[in-house]
Amino acid sequence: MELIKSFDELKKITSGLKNKAEKDEKSKIIIKIAMATCSIASGSKAVLDIFNEEMKKQPLESVIKSTGCMGLCHSEPTVQVTKPGSEPVVFGHVDPKRAKLIIEEYIKNGRLIDGVIEVN
Amino acid sequence: MKSKQIKIVLRNCGQIDPENIFDYIERDGYSALGKCLSSGDRKAVVEVIKKSGLRGRGGGGFPTGKKWEMVSNYQSDKKYVICNADEGDPGAFMDRSVLEGDPHSVLEAMAICGFAIGADEGYIYIRAEYPLAIKRLKIAMAQAQEAGLLGDNILGTGFNFNIGLKYGAGAFVCGEETALIKSMEGKRGEPVMKPPYPAESGYMRKPTNVNNVETFANITEIINKGADWFSSIGTEGSKGTKVFALAGKVNNVGLVEVPMGTTLRELIYEIGGGIVNNKKFKAAQTGGPSGGCLTINHLDTPIDYESLKQAGSMMGSGGMIVMDEDDCMVAVAQFYLDFTVEESCGKCVPCREGNKVLYQILNKITHGHGEMEDLTKLKNFSEVIKSASLCGLGQTSPNPVLSTLANFYDEYHEHVVDKKCRAKHCRALIQYKIIENNCVGCGACKRVCPAEAVYGELKQKHLIDQEKCIKCGACIKKCRFNAIIIE
Repeated sequence: MELIKSFDELKKITSGLKNKAEKDEKSKIIIKIAMATCSIASGSKAVLDIFNEEMKKQPLESVIKSTGCMGLCHSEPTVQVTKPGSEPVVFGHVDPKRAKLIIEEYIKNGRLIDGVIEVN
Repeated sequence: MKSKQIKIVLRNCGQIDPENIFDYIERDGYSALGKCLSSGDRKAVVEVIKKSGLRGRGGGGFPTGKKWEMVSNYQSDKKYVICNADEGDPGAFMDRSVLEGDPHSVLEAMAICGFAIGADEGYIYIRAEYPLAIKRLKIAMAQAQEAGLLGDNILGTGFNFNIGLKYGAGAFVCGEETALIKSMEGKRGEPVMKPPYPAESGYMRKPTNVNNVETFANITEIINKGADWFSSIGTEGSKGTKVFALAGKVNNVGLVEVPMGTTLRELIYEIGGGIVNNKKFKAAQTGGPSGGCLTINHLDTPIDYESLKQAGSMMGSGGMIVMDEDDCMVAVAQFYLDFTVEESCGKCVPCREGNKVLYQILNKITHGHGEMEDLTKLKNFSEVIKSASLCGLGQTSPNPVLSTLANFYDEYHEHVVDKKCRAKHCRALIQYKIIENNCVGCGACKRVCPAEAVYGELKQKHLIDQEKCIKCGACIKKCRFNAIIIE
């Protein structure tokens, strides 16, 4: 990583990153998997592995992020999927089987499955 | 329905990759620090925090800006910024969540604080039981160092700020700032008399500013969006939001962030999705072992520092344990006293000995040996411990007793006079009985009883020998004819 030498340089980097993120949002599927201590304890590591593995085989481009906890302890492990042009959808109680179902049903075919959590 | 939530502290949690500094920078990370450093105006930073009305989120609720101002006014060759991440309340995990999900927001805020008060060194005092938070903090610190956002000559402004980690071994009392500082210095984690306050003489006897994780997590947003924006959220005396760790008998257990002034009803029934199995709400314990409980009468009270204090509880760090009709309030008080007795450092007599006495009296009551004068004793002892203890731990440890006594006196009375526990929780006060009319004599209960307390012939009515019964509840689970009840 390059040394950031001034506030102006930081601002430039920020706006560059914002542009990239905006572009990604328009063209890629963004998958966020909660990976805090609590999430890992409830099995999110296996879910992350499934997404990393399976999304490679899909024709659609995606960004997979392991994040901190979303605060939804009651439904861990949780996965948030944002398709280009759509609102984020949060799935709860995701295990490897459900992870595959999310890819098949929601990501590929746009059909919602049970266990979507209402947030905000 | 979660529309009541406003996310300031948790804004990035679950949204960014905590191990990638670019994710944080993309969401305006380190721009607040850049803004402060490039303005070069230390006093202005303190003023913004003061004006925002932010108060300490660790429990006490001391105005953060005022604390920063006090430390900045002391002249010294060395000052320190300390982040208190010694989260110890049972059922509270807000700080862990922030450190695991958004570590840079705390690092950036500490650097801003360092700039404002004139410190070039900071420490995070974190429990060794939080290995993932420690790992992510270390990654974040290394990345920020490499990018020149921490360390020497930050963003080319000549300002230096280094952060180190200190590990706590899990003693509850080390969350108290003077004990925390002692522990950091390698001494026994015992509190000392205040004044002098850490602001004057803290870590290594230098002026030290101690803030909690959640307090720090508010700072960058206040700098970025302004004091007026922040103070427009919340109530008269309590600005901004509060993160609660909602736990216990509530459907949606989890972390929630709501504006100050949100009512308990909104928290439990709207955000929390109501009580498990549609049971009746009895109480919500806030402030952990230092707090008290809110009852059905407080459901519509807006929650802020003052209203909680008025209700005999306190904000504490944000643990909120919801209890229903199956929870015995005397046993709850006993649970917290058990914790306090274990965690008292033993330095001062009122806390060390007094809490033990409180625990013993409560134990006596829950075991059916309580007398009326015990209730008076509980109250008197509590008041002495509160007024005579050295630090915050002892000064608040009787709160669970006082608050349950005030709000659930009839339950105490029942335990003492009728020798009954209405929640059917205290084993010494309940009896398992077989309803003769429902019993078909199948023998299932007899076979499962580990104490051989059930007797009766097959296809005949069975009975329980109360002398032998250990009240384990195994029989009630096995009975398919609703023939066993607890009285």
